[in-house]
Amino acid sequence: MAEVRLKDVSKIYDGKVKAIDSVSIEIYDKEFVVLVGPSGCGKSTLLRMIAGLESISDGDIYIDDNLVNELSPKDRDIAMVFQNYALYPHMTVYENMAFGLKIRKFKKEEIKKRVEHASDILDLEELLHRKPKALSGGQRQRVAIGRAIVRKPKIFLFDEPLSNLDAKLRVQMRTEISKLHHRLGATIVYVTHDQIEAMTMGDKIVVLKDGIINQISAPMNLYNHPANKFVAGFIGSPAMNFIRGKIISDSELFFVSTDNLIKIALLTEQQEILKKYTNEEVTIGIRPENIIPSKLINENSYKITTTLDVVEPMGNETIIYFKMGENKMIARIQSGEVLRVNQSFELLINLEYLHFFDGKTEKVIE
Amino acid sequence: MKKLLFYFCLTISALIFLYPFLWMISASLAPESEIGNLFALPSSFSLHSYLSMFNKIPIGRAFVNSMIVASSITFGVLLTGSIVGYALSRLQFKGRDLIFYIIIFTMTLPFQITLIPQYIIMVKFGWVDTYLALIAPYMINALSIIMFRQYFKTIPQDLIDAARIDGCGDFRIVFRILWPNSIPAIVTIGIITFMASWNEVLWPLIVIRDESLMTMPQLVTLFAVGGRAESQLGVKLAAAVMLALPIIIVYLFFQKYFIQSMTSTGIKD
Repeated sequence: MAEVRLKDVSKIYDGKVKAIDSVSIEIYDKEFVVLVGPSGCGKSTLLRMIAGLESISDGDIYIDDNLVNELSPKDRDIAMVFQNYALYPHMTVYENMAFGLKIRKFKKEEIKKRVEHASDILDLEELLHRKPKALSGGQRQRVAIGRAIVRKPKIFLFDEPLSNLDAKLRVQMRTEISKLHHRLGATIVYVTHDQIEAMTMGDKIVVLKDGIINQISAPMNLYNHPANKFVAGFIGSPAMNFIRGKIISDSELFFVSTDNLIKIALLTEQQEILKKYTNEEVTIGIRPENIIPSKLINENSYKITTTLDVVEPMGNETIIYFKMGENKMIARIQSGEVLRVNQSFELLINLEYLHFFDGKTEKVIE
Repeated sequence: MKKLLFYFCLTISALIFLYPFLWMISASLAPESEIGNLFALPSSFSLHSYLSMFNKIPIGRAFVNSMIVASSITFGVLLTGSIVGYALSRLQFKGRDLIFYIIIFTMTLPFQITLIPQYIIMVKFGWVDTYLALIAPYMINALSIIMFRQYFKTIPQDLIDAARIDGCGDFRIVFRILWPNSIPAIVTIGIITFMASWNEVLWPLIVIRDESLMTMPQLVTLFAVGGRAESQLGVKLAAAVMLALPIIIVYLFFQKYFIQSMTSTGIKD
């Protein structure tokens, strides 16, 4: 049983800069929670506060109902994996993994057993007598994870552990950490700025911006039902397309873009929701995969004819960049025909998947 | 051609620096009558000056004293310098930077200013004519603190955080994590401190009168300028060679770090 509860936690630097602003999160036993957000959003600060490496300006942190605000890191029963591995350069892999147990005065046999078990899980048996400088990036990260595993902590904390690895290794380590989570049944708090890592690994994602939680939700729910424009734009790659405009009433409700070049007749259920926004500013959002070639006939759609600015064939799909009115748009379409830059192309926007955001608060309109 | 001229100049400069030292060794091994010759090698070599010097002064005892004093000071400086350097580089507390500036300021004070107050303290403590008078005032110094502080700043914070999570307190972090990763700084500070304390003359002359407690430079200085050498240059030179020998040996062993210590700015490679 290992739960973490953050209650109105804040971090203020020098009495002025609010790095974390009244954050409350509940992390349940065996849950894999990802803290995600752009650089400087406070996600690493929050993780360091859970670890006890950063003091708390306000609020409470509980681990298994124990208030840990004043507890030092060693007494919190946590283990942390750092972005740059943080292996002790003067120790071998074995010594690195055993160090925390030695400090805690574990018996030699127990230390040996635990290190061997962890090295077996992580495939490190052959590397136990090497120093960190003789290891590759991926191996170093595995040792860093091993160092956490041997401790059998209540909570595992990961601070952007894959950022220093190359793309291929990152994908491999991503699956390894996910497997490890299921194998150990561990409670994990994982920080990343990579929304793909967040989507693929987390049971629950916490999206942070400027020290404030924007949304806490399961990955797919976050993707399909973003709470605001920031979350909608941050989660998903390529990012969601946005068009600013107004809702106008002309026998029925329409969305008209700010440049007056786009006029979309809204679906019946959308009209119901947007009635109170008549003559108000609204931003619509549409994901790149919800813009489809016009030959794939769709009833509830808005047809546009455009010229392709950039074409990026990815093999299984093609990313196309084009303009809709004055708005730069991206669509992700199935690879079929060969597309060229400056080619005229007809596309359909699937209106069923439109997201609407309040023009002022940027909150989703539901 | 340009390169040749460059090497020629360097060789001449090296000889200018090296010659007095080589002459000192050669003269210490020469018969007393030939010492005046500045250029030719002596007709015969003998250890007479050395044997005579050993008979006249307790140089062996002075060597042991110097070793005790220089080693204790070096150990003390490494210990205190690293602890204070760690606090100033990694711990957050009010007035941290002010303390650092005060420490830097102490470097600008010449030794002569603190000499008398320091002597009075030694008298009050009853430490005059003890090892404590030689060791205690030098157990901490600003240069070592600054060098350790700068070096520790180059070590990633994550390493210290990892140690903290592994269960280390501040002292364990300094001695189990930072020390093994700061060997160049430790050797550099160690050499500088050892050399400075080995060569110190003025302070021992003030606080030590008992010959059995005298350090080598003190004894050799008193021997050279006092009347016990009986105006024999050979024995004085032999004593000077004995004084320089340990430093030469240290230099040969730690040549690489010695040069680094003269050029180091505390920045890790």
